[in-house]
Amino acid sequence: MHLLPQKSFVVPLAALILAVSGGARGGETPDRWWAPGEGRVLPAALDYANENGTLRTLTVGGPLDTAGHPFFEPLGKDGRACVTCHQPADAMSLSAASAQRQWDRTDGKDPLFAAYDGSNCPTLPQDKRESHSLLLDRGLIRIERPWPTKSFNGKPVKPDFTIEVVRDPNGCNSGPQYGPQAGKISVYRRPRPVANMKYLLAVGFPFDPKQGYALPLDPDDGKPQSGNLMADNRAGNLRIQMEDAANTHLQMLKALTAAQRQQLQDFELRVFTAMQVTNGGGAVDSGGAKAGPARLRDSEPGALGSIGEPVWSEFKGWEKMPADEAAMLTPEQLAFRQSVARGARVFREKMFLITDTAGINSRIGFGNPVRNSCVFCHNMSQMGNDVAPGQVDLGTTTLPFADPWQDLPLFRVTCTGRPHPHYGKVIYTYDPGFGLTSGKCADVGKITLQSMRGLSARAPYFSNGLAKDLRGVVDYYERRYSIGYSEQEKQDLVNLMSAL
Amino acid sequence: MKRLALLGALCAATTAQAAQDTGALVRFVTCPVYRDTDAGRKSGCWLADDRDTGQRWDVTESPYKPDWNFAVLVEGRPSANAAQPCGSPALDPVRTSRLDIPCTRHMIPAEGFPGRRYTLPRRNIGPLSVARPVPPGPYVARTFPVYFEFDKDFLVYQYDDWLIDNAVTWIRAARPKKLVVTGYAATAPETVSGVKLAERPEVAKERAETIAETMRRLVPGLAVETKWKTAAKPTDDPEADGLPWQSQRRAEIRAVF
Repeated sequence: MHLLPQKSFVVPLAALILAVSGGARGGETPDRWWAPGEGRVLPAALDYANENGTLRTLTVGGPLDTAGHPFFEPLGKDGRACVTCHQPADAMSLSAASAQRQWDRTDGKDPLFAAYDGSNCPTLPQDKRESHSLLLDRGLIRIERPWPTKSFNGKPVKPDFTIEVVRDPNGCNSGPQYGPQAGKISVYRRPRPVANMKYLLAVGFPFDPKQGYALPLDPDDGKPQSGNLMADNRAGNLRIQMEDAANTHLQMLKALTAAQRQQLQDFELRVFTAMQVTNGGGAVDSGGAKAGPARLRDSEPGALGSIGEPVWSEFKGWEKMPADEAAMLTPEQLAFRQSVARGARVFREKMFLITDTAGINSRIGFGNPVRNSCVFCHNMSQMGNDVAPGQVDLGTTTLPFADPWQDLPLFRVTCTGRPHPHYGKVIYTYDPGFGLTSGKCADVGKITLQSMRGLSARAPYFSNGLAKDLRGVVDYYERRYSIGYSEQEKQDLVNLMSAL
Repeated sequence: MKRLALLGALCAATTAQAAQDTGALVRFVTCPVYRDTDAGRKSGCWLADDRDTGQRWDVTESPYKPDWNFAVLVEGRPSANAAQPCGSPALDPVRTSRLDIPCTRHMIPAEGFPGRRYTLPRRNIGPLSVARPVPPGPYVARTFPVYFEFDKDFLVYQYDDWLIDNAVTWIRAARPKKLVVTGYAATAPETVSGVKLAERPEVAKERAETIAETMRRLVPGLAVETKWKTAAKPTDDPEADGLPWQSQRRAEIRAVF
């Protein structure tokens, strides 16, 4: 049987030994939670177990001494560091399970639960669990956006919509300090993974077909921006993103220094994470499959799957394994591998009608409806994010498509210019998404597609955590688009996503 | 078999009718019909009924496809290709523009029609990783038109991006002193299918500014001026595909030395 990782051994042996001896490979000593300022060494390869297998995080040029490193040191008054919400065990994101674990272990005293954004609202009693329910139950961090929107890509913006608060269950969108009247809108979103960044920064084509312009230029280096960093695309490059995070999530009183920015950017570009071993089928780079973080590290980013390497074809080798290799697997292992390979095909080939989805059916010109598959949007080889800037409204945050949530604020958006192409003049939304950045009513509800790597380590899913597990992701798409997946296809997709 | 034979007879009849119409421009407003054919990605058919003639046309080849919730302005010419994969004679070249007139959405089944397997259109751009060949000179003053939907300033995917990519490749090689972008609007009112149509005068400026912003991003550092004009007249530029209305709805990028 050959289920152990193969390509992983390209990392220096000493680094691997360090990772294993550090106990991170499924062990709890040192703890899987990376607390700020611990001064641990981040190995070149670091494995963590999750319910579907083993996630591996590679740090190119590692190991990295984190002592004094701005990603790992507390920089603000709340004692948080970047790593607080971007944990190696959680694919450099944060799972709700990890948040719950930290609450239980620290009785809610961990800096993760800082009042500013680790609670439903700073005005709530911070010692009570229910004041942090959005973070604990759905992994959501409060994001405070200015209102009215003032600028996008350096250009002044006058929003072509008004916004009112229909419901404010947490108190952070009303009262003297919060809400549109106070110039602040609170939305709640999942932290996005800080890894595999070269893919999120990659630019495939010179145009943003969803916005109808050439790509905006980076204010720092003058190059076209990918538009794929943040849920609402409010930061087009890593500098702007890290400054935004430092000022808000870290509550830094001073600006990041140039040296800190350089260290952060250097680190973020060196981290790659993905599932390395699946519980069901073994190593994802064995038996003819070519997945895993080393492949991500070594591949060119930004390729469009439809004209290059098809998305998730890394698992093609598992479609029909050589008899001698298959004979070395248990029937269950073989079945899992075949299921993952089928899932990749379903992802690419199962066609359905995509309807009333801004960013796809409007304004780009594909038509409404348009027949296509998951890879229509999840089109980048190796990563499954969008090669073009990925602002699309799947309806996950906006009625009538979004699931009902009593604990999220609900906003009424009224278009003052042209109506929204699908919702009309009035829109009810939990999170206006990209609309809060561009100021355009047509962009309300659009959320940037994100990486699909390391999903097993970072439930729940979608920007507002509406899918508690991978099956929930498939079920949402089925509800939204009436795709008609068979039970087998649903399971195949779940197995595929669990292996990414 | 009976069904196939019937379809064949229907196709033959409608093909003959379409052949008679070849060469005549058609223009009408209607609610689109989506035929749910499945020959893979992007293979659904768009149909549009000309209420004045009763003719149902296949308008799928428009670079900008309809939205089943809104009326479309159809402009085109009957195709020289007699094939009817969507069950109706095709307009090709054809343009469909989404109008702000609500429609009852209507989808019909494939009814045995195959639709069209998607192929990349002629006007598609390569990735940035693919070097563009340097276009030959002479590098003298030259104008590059870009075309739009009715009353819109939105760059049409796999049409305008291709036109602009070609223009930018030439401009980067030619290194003109500046660009002058002129937006045009077809503001003269016309009644089509009982609907009075005229582009807003301000869309001329919107088109100029959209293209100017795009050029500033693609050729940073090059001066870009904007102008705009109403009452646009048709041109004979081949990239408007011989559709006079399309040629009116344009912006022009003029490279000045």
